Amino acid sequence: MRGKSGQGNVFRARPVAGSAGPLRPGAALVVDGVGTGWRAEIAGWVAAAPGVGFCEVIAESIVPAGPPRGVVDLRERGLPVVPHGVRLSLGGTDPLDACRVAHLAACAEALDAPLVSEHIAFVRAGGWDAGHLLPVPRTRAALDVLAANVARTRTEVAVPLALEPIAALFDWPEDELTEPEFLAALLDRTGALLLLDVANVYANAVNRGQDAYAVLDRMLDLIAAERIAYVHVAGGSVRHDEADLPGGALYHDTHTDPVPCEVLRLLTHLVERVPGVPVMLERDGRYPPADVLSAELATIAAAAR
Amino acid sequence: MSRAAEHTESAVPSPRNNAGGAAAEPPALAERQAALVAALVAGASDPAGFDPARLTATRRALLRKRAGAAARAWPALATFFGDRWASTFAAHHAGRPPGGALRDGWDLARALRAELTADAAAELAEREALLRYDGKTAPRPRRLGRARLALGRLTRPTR
Repeated sequence: MRGKSGQGNVFRARPVAGSAGPLRPGAALVVDGVGTGWRAEIAGWVAAAPGVGFCEVIAESIVPAGPPRGVVDLRERGLPVVPHGVRLSLGGTDPLDACRVAHLAACAEALDAPLVSEHIAFVRAGGWDAGHLLPVPRTRAALDVLAANVARTRTEVAVPLALEPIAALFDWPEDELTEPEFLAALLDRTGALLLLDVANVYANAVNRGQDAYAVLDRMLDLIAAERIAYVHVAGGSVRHDEADLPGGALYHDTHTDPVPCEVLRLLTHLVERVPGVPVMLERDGRYPPADVLSAELATIAAAAR
Repeated sequence: MSRAAEHTESAVPSPRNNAGGAAAEPPALAERQAALVAALVAGASDPAGFDPARLTATRRALLRKRAGAAARAWPALATFFGDRWASTFAAHHAGRPPGGALRDGWDLARALRAELTADAAAELAEREALLRYDGKTAPRPRRLGRARLALGRLTRPTR
C-alpha cells in the first residue's frame, strides 16, 4: 500500500501549472489506467474485470469501519479505491455537515485512498434536501462559498481532493462566467484537482446548444493538464418523452444507458490533448450482463489509448 | 433576515470563513438556493429568472431518480405497478419533498393500500409490523416488532 501522507506531500511539492508531456510528467498521478465505479450490484464483475487499474466507491454507501468485502478485496490486491462523495454539498451556503466531512475523511483513511473526489454542486438548502446534485451559479459569490467549503473539507481530509463539474439541466440567470472560466478560477483558488467527466461536458454542451469540443478545448486551455486527476465516462440518452417541453428533448446523463459514440469521440479528443490521463466508467443501474460491461470498458480503454 | 443584515458585502468572505468555519454566506445566494430547492422538491413556485421548462425537466428527473430508489426498497410494490411505477410514483410525490426510499415507497403504499396485490400488501404489512412510521419522520423500530411480524404471518390467510 502506498502511504497517504507521502502521496499528499509529493503532490503538494509539484508545480500546478505547465504543459503535460506524453507521460504526464509532473501530473498529480494518483491513479492509473482504466477504472470503474465499484457498486455492490456489479461487485462480481468488477472483481473479475480484466485490466482494471483503479476503482471508485460512493463514499456515502460505505461504512469506513467495515467496507464491503468486495472493496476490501480490491485493496488487498493493491488496487487504489477512490472515495467519491455525492452528498457533501460543497456549493451550498448552509454550513457543511461536520458528520459528512468526517465520513469522507474516514473513508479516505480506511481505504488508504490516494485522493477523494466530490462535486461542484449543492444538494440542500433552506432545510430542503433535493437528494440530487444541483448546479451553483457561476458567480464570484458561489466561488467564495465553494472555496470556503473546500478549505473546511481539507482541514479533515488528509489526501488531495478532486472536484467534479456536474451535468445540469438548467443554468442560473446570475451566471457571470462560462463553465471553463468558473472551473479554472475555482481550481486556482482552492488548489484542488479536477475530476473531469466527459459525459457531463457533452451533456451540458448539448443542452446549452454549444459545441462540446470547443467547451472541452477551452477548459484544457485554461486548466493545466496535470491538474486532471482522472476522468469519468458514463452513458446517457435523449428523453424523447420530454419533447412536450418548450425547447424540446434534453440529453440526460443517466449512468444507466450505454456510453454514446459521441461521448467516446469526445473522450478520444480529450486523451489526444492529455495523453495517459486515467479514465473510468460510471454505471449506476440497469446493469447489463458482465460481457457487455467488459466490452464497454474495453471500448473506453481503446478510445483512451 | 438577521443573517442577511450581517453580510451586505456578499462577495467578501468573513474572517470566520477564512478560519475554515462555516461557508461564506452571501444572503442573496442562500435565499436563491433555498427558493430553487423548494421549487424543485416542495411544490414552491419557480424562482425568478430560471427557464421554467428546464426546471420542469429537472423536477421530472428528480422524481424518476426517487422512483428508482423506492423501487429497490419496495420491490413487491414496484413489481405490482410494473410499467406504471414511475408515473404512479411521480403523480403521488410531485411537490412532496424526498423522504428517502423507504418513506417515499411507504407513503405510496399507504395511499394506494386498497389497490395492492397480496405480495405488495404483505410487504407493507411487514414494514408496519417492524417499524413505527408516523408519516412525517424517519421510521423507528417497534417494540416487539419481530413478535408482531411472526403473529401476522401465522394469522395471515394462505394464498
